[in-house]
Amino acid sequence: MSVLLESSSTSAAMRRNFWAGVWRVMRRKPSRLVGAVLMAGFVFMGAFGPLFYPNPLPRDVDQLTRPPSWEHWLGTDDQGRDVVALVVTGSRYVLLAALVTAVITVVLGTGIGLFSGFKRGRWDTVLMRITDMKLTIPGLPLLLVLSTVWKFSSAVQMGLVLGLLSWGGVARAVRAQTLSLRERGFIEAARGLGLSTSHIVGRELLPSMAPYIAMNMLIAITGGVYSQVGLFFLGVLPYESNNWGQMLNTAVFRSGALTVPSALGFLLGPLLAILLLTLAIVLVVDAMDEIFNPRLREE
Amino acid sequence: MKRLAAVVALLGLATATAACSGGTTNNSGGSGGGGGLFTTIDVARPGLDASAPANPWNPKGNAFLGYNGMKLAWVKNHLTDPNQFYPGVAANWDIAADNSSITIHVQPNAKWSDGKPVTAEDVRLSIGLAYTTGSTAFAITPGAAGAAAEVQVVDDKTVKVTQDMTNPSAKFARGVLDNWVVPAHVWGSVLPADFWDKLKTSRGEGEAADKAREEILALGQKVLAFAPPKDVSAGPFTLERVNPGEALLVKNPNFYNAANVAPAQVKFLNYSGNEQIWNYLSAGKLDHSGFIAAPPDVMNRIKQAPGSHIITGFSPVAVGMAFNQSKKPYDNVHVRRGLAYLIDRAQVTKVASPDGGTPALTTSGIHQKPAQEWIGSELSSLEPYNHDVAKAEAEFTEAGLKKQDGKWTLADGSPWKVTMHAPAGFSDWISAQENIKSQLIDNGVDAEVVTVADYPVYLEEIAAGKYDVGFWLMALGPAPYDIYQRLYGTSNGWTNVAGKVSHNAPGKGGNWMGGAEEIDVEGVGKVNPGELTAELNAASAEEAKPIMAKLAKAANQDLPVIQLWDYVNTQFTNTSRFTGWPQNDSDLLRLPAGVWIQLGMIKAKQ
Repeated sequence: MSVLLESSSTSAAMRRNFWAGVWRVMRRKPSRLVGAVLMAGFVFMGAFGPLFYPNPLPRDVDQLTRPPSWEHWLGTDDQGRDVVALVVTGSRYVLLAALVTAVITVVLGTGIGLFSGFKRGRWDTVLMRITDMKLTIPGLPLLLVLSTVWKFSSAVQMGLVLGLLSWGGVARAVRAQTLSLRERGFIEAARGLGLSTSHIVGRELLPSMAPYIAMNMLIAITGGVYSQVGLFFLGVLPYESNNWGQMLNTAVFRSGALTVPSALGFLLGPLLAILLLTLAIVLVVDAMDEIFNPRLREE
Repeated sequence: MKRLAAVVALLGLATATAACSGGTTNNSGGSGGGGGLFTTIDVARPGLDASAPANPWNPKGNAFLGYNGMKLAWVKNHLTDPNQFYPGVAANWDIAADNSSITIHVQPNAKWSDGKPVTAEDVRLSIGLAYTTGSTAFAITPGAAGAAAEVQVVDDKTVKVTQDMTNPSAKFARGVLDNWVVPAHVWGSVLPADFWDKLKTSRGEGEAADKAREEILALGQKVLAFAPPKDVSAGPFTLERVNPGEALLVKNPNFYNAANVAPAQVKFLNYSGNEQIWNYLSAGKLDHSGFIAAPPDVMNRIKQAPGSHIITGFSPVAVGMAFNQSKKPYDNVHVRRGLAYLIDRAQVTKVASPDGGTPALTTSGIHQKPAQEWIGSELSSLEPYNHDVAKAEAEFTEAGLKKQDGKWTLADGSPWKVTMHAPAGFSDWISAQENIKSQLIDNGVDAEVVTVADYPVYLEEIAAGKYDVGFWLMALGPAPYDIYQRLYGTSNGWTNVAGKVSHNAPGKGGNWMGGAEEIDVEGVGKVNPGELTAELNAASAEEAKPIMAKLAKAANQDLPVIQLWDYVNTQFTNTSRFTGWPQNDSDLLRLPAGVWIQLGMIKAKQ
């Protein structure tokens, strides 16, 4: 009983120390705090943002493609709708698809990398050759071909395809980490104690790589956003007027954002959203690096 | 935060710089300066292909209509008469009173750019080449309407073409004169020596005729691929060189009207998107460009360019929202009428095509400009379908639709969503559908816009009956048959082979509209609109008018499509270097600027 009490108080203390460490890291560079706030803002925008606007969005046909004003901070689109409202209502598809992309990338990449690196031998050879083959397939041309036969009507479908095309790099990196860790003493000790493979992988290897995997997941989100926005910008996917990529396409090719300044706000809306999302992820990854890297923490 | 602010500021600066990049004006107008160089763009052909031959039949060919590509004559697209032309290689022509033949007189002074005279033999060979590509009057399909039966060289400068009167067409002369002319001494080897015998055989019946037709059509591929070693043109210009950025044409001193051709050179600039043309026009760089869609602010910027001069006129085409009546609830006329009342066409046009279209007055099937001439006072008696939500709701109720919680559902309570399709890249159509979608949702009708890869795929899928609702080009004048065959032709079930009209069931033979074969038209009685349309093929203008009136009433009452806007022909010109442009509403606006130049209208500014 006393052992149990001691153990639970130790883990509670560790949690307190962890959050104190997080706060210390955040305070050291306030930009990281900004990153975290932005990230929370995007999560809120994707989850609840569309609920603040009616469907369809209000439009004013006397205000087609207007520049920023007090009434419309980023101006209006070619249908007379507020650009900020479009960015917010369009965020759910973009962010959900990016999240699905990241989850699939990380789950598949980590699973294959861990299995391959831990098992080694024939499994490693086969899985890594498959990974190499996957890495040789150029993603964008394949997506362009796929878009002619698949309509990508939902964010989950889009994320699924992007995720299936993105796991190769993560698998290779996780395998390399696994190969390195499996030779360390604590893994040797776990083996010596006769612990099961699932215990060694799940409780010993995976937690050691968790920060690295989490950072990869965040970076995969940006990759997912760029890919889908790029596809919508190229106009190869079905029309969704509030998708950020479609907004960029419409602003440039229909509203003349590169010819007349009145459409500048329409162009800047989705660009700013992408820029801020990237910035948020970069800053959070920077913070995570220090939180989980003991060497950086000591400095 | 500082870094964030810097990044945002840099991004803003970069975008603002890009947005202003089209702001400089160019008064010199390129290397032509004093008016010798005419700079233009072929809006129908994005992307010049430097390796394509100077072959008018090749889709990417570097034969520019009216410049180095010549036709026998230039179709005016008159409001009501399809057989009016400006002279081309043909100086004049005699059409037989019964429309059974046309005798073409070649320009007496016409010469090819290599100095050889243009002869009747050149015309005959060009007609032979037209047969291989299936041109209208030179179709080899058995029983095709308005097909030529015989081509006869009368003398060195005269050719007579006779119509097969078993299935005549009022457009026969147009079908003959609207054809390319190329030099026999360059193209002669493309057709085999026994070509004309084969053609004769193909007009018969049986296995030999089928084989001959196959062989002639197979020659079409050879014609499309043929690359003349050098451009030999009877037009005012010849092709000098093409690179991916531009095509340069130089004046043909042997052209029959060369003395009145002002530019010494013509440069076609390459483009891949409308925004490039906007920038060219804003900079005053182009002497002429055909219509391209432009948002109002861009249009204002173009108008402010030095010398900018925009000419508008009639364009014989309209766009409508077409229904697949095989699909519920569009089989019910009250649903179609309800939608017609619900959609504010003025708003749609304002958003989608403010400078390129005018809201349709009503659905008559005819562009509003020639409608008055064709159906006169009947036009005002048609239901205008002005925007009226109450009338729309009454029509939906009559159709049995139900309104639950502010949303219209089908009669059985299942959801109803108007799914509109448009090809990607057709920005005005997509913009219009987006606006219609908002208008419908505002009034409780769920709607969505779906784009498809491109126009050929769109046409293929719409013909296969895959869409509920799609946009459809209509009122394709000036020939009355052409106008109504868009509503009551193959796409709605009627086929016209050898003058015999038959009706295919919905979903078969390209019938995707699925309309009723007979319509009980108020004040007219029961009509078969497909048969009435077929009658227009051989009818004179006066005979066509009462038929057109009946069809307009049928279209207005039955609404196979909701006519949204009638296109306006908008041409961009610049008066800095050249003058003599056509006036607003001129029929020349429906012809390429090369024709204006070869007719001697365009003059260098002194």
